[in-house]
Amino acid sequence: MSAPDDTALRDLAAAYVLGALGPEEVRAFEAFLAASPEARREVDEYRETAALLALAGEERRPPPELRARVQAAIAATRERPLGLARRSPWGPIAWVGLAAALLAAVALGARTRSLSRELSARDSTIAELERRVDELGQGVFDRDAILAAVLSRNVRLAQLTASGDPDPAIQIFWDKARNTALVNAMGLKPAPQGRVYQLWWIRDGKPVPSVTFDVGHDGAGLVRGVSVPADGELSAAAVTQEPSGGSQQPTTPILLVGPLPKS
Amino acid sequence: MTDLYDRYGSVVYTVAYRVVGERADAEEVVVEAFAQAWRDAGRYEPGRGSVAAWLTMIARSRSLDLVRARGRRDRLTASAASGEPAAAADPTANPAERTEDDERRRMVRQAIEALSPPQRQAIELAFFEGLSQSEIATRLNEPLGTVKTRVRLGMQKLRETLRPYFFERVT
Repeated sequence: MSAPDDTALRDLAAAYVLGALGPEEVRAFEAFLAASPEARREVDEYRETAALLALAGEERRPPPELRARVQAAIAATRERPLGLARRSPWGPIAWVGLAAALLAAVALGARTRSLSRELSARDSTIAELERRVDELGQGVFDRDAILAAVLSRNVRLAQLTASGDPDPAIQIFWDKARNTALVNAMGLKPAPQGRVYQLWWIRDGKPVPSVTFDVGHDGAGLVRGVSVPADGELSAAAVTQEPSGGSQQPTTPILLVGPLPKS
Repeated sequence: MTDLYDRYGSVVYTVAYRVVGERADAEEVVVEAFAQAWRDAGRYEPGRGSVAAWLTMIARSRSLDLVRARGRRDRLTASAASGEPAAAADPTANPAERTEDDERRRMVRQAIEALSPPQRQAIELAFFEGLSQSEIATRLNEPLGTVKTRVRLGMQKLRETLRPYFFERVT
């Protein structure tokens, strides 16, 4: 378990990756980072997360001629004398420098942790209140989004049921104008370890893989913003249990199935 | 390196375009980013992350440098603000990679839409406009602590949701 001061510093990991810390925070965090493999792993994960933000907007395709420009730039770099460091050029002097830097980082880290302990004690109440306010705001936003997804005039409802058993059921609120759906599962057992539920659209008689999900101990699960194929004739939807990560084709029998409304 | 360009050129160009806001600058950033990646290849540590994330972060950094150098920090970053049409499907792309990329893109959009608007706004201002948390607080006229909480909780939520969709670790 982390000490409170470490926790306060680890809380900076996301902002560090986004480049959103002030200079002093960067220094404190990097000193902490030098001594914490756990924080380095966290930073690595946040870097992967941040990189995915690149995909958030509309995809842009580079013009075909750009490839040749990139090739030319790389060739120019390759020809530069001493311009290419494919292997670490560090000699013994560099290693001495690195060792000194690490010692300094550890010393700075100790001082930083002492200061941050005082700060974190002072700020913990405020941080907890902010966290609660933000979580409440998120809850309200989530509820609004669900209501909007269910109440839209373009939404059609489909019900998936298990044959012969009225208990487990899935409702699909299908927004035909936006080609998205909200999937509401009820009365399902949580998927076993290493397995998930997967939704399938039945298009022209063939299953099209969709989102994977699981349910809580209360048997309920909710997935918003599920894409619905815009092309072809969708006749039904079904749910199977698949390995974590989902499958391209169903590998187990259908658990729930139901027709989709035509209009 | 050209293999990497063929695989990730589109992602790199997309992030560059989103930050700099227009085509010529985005192309310049892509050229610089791949040249830098080539020069710094020895610094890339495969154990610490995907090459796609490494390239993307280089491109984002070069893009912000360019925007700052040209004093265009306050321009709109929303891609919708641009008059240039978005990409159509690329018939030359590897179909399997194409499907995987489409799925990843869909999940990223879904995860970002699931954030509260203030969380999304804070994270986008940091990533695409390069604003510090203090600058975001000033811009939005919000307390700094509130902005910090939004960035932290929003990124935590994205990390948990998107972990299965991180870029593959290939070299």
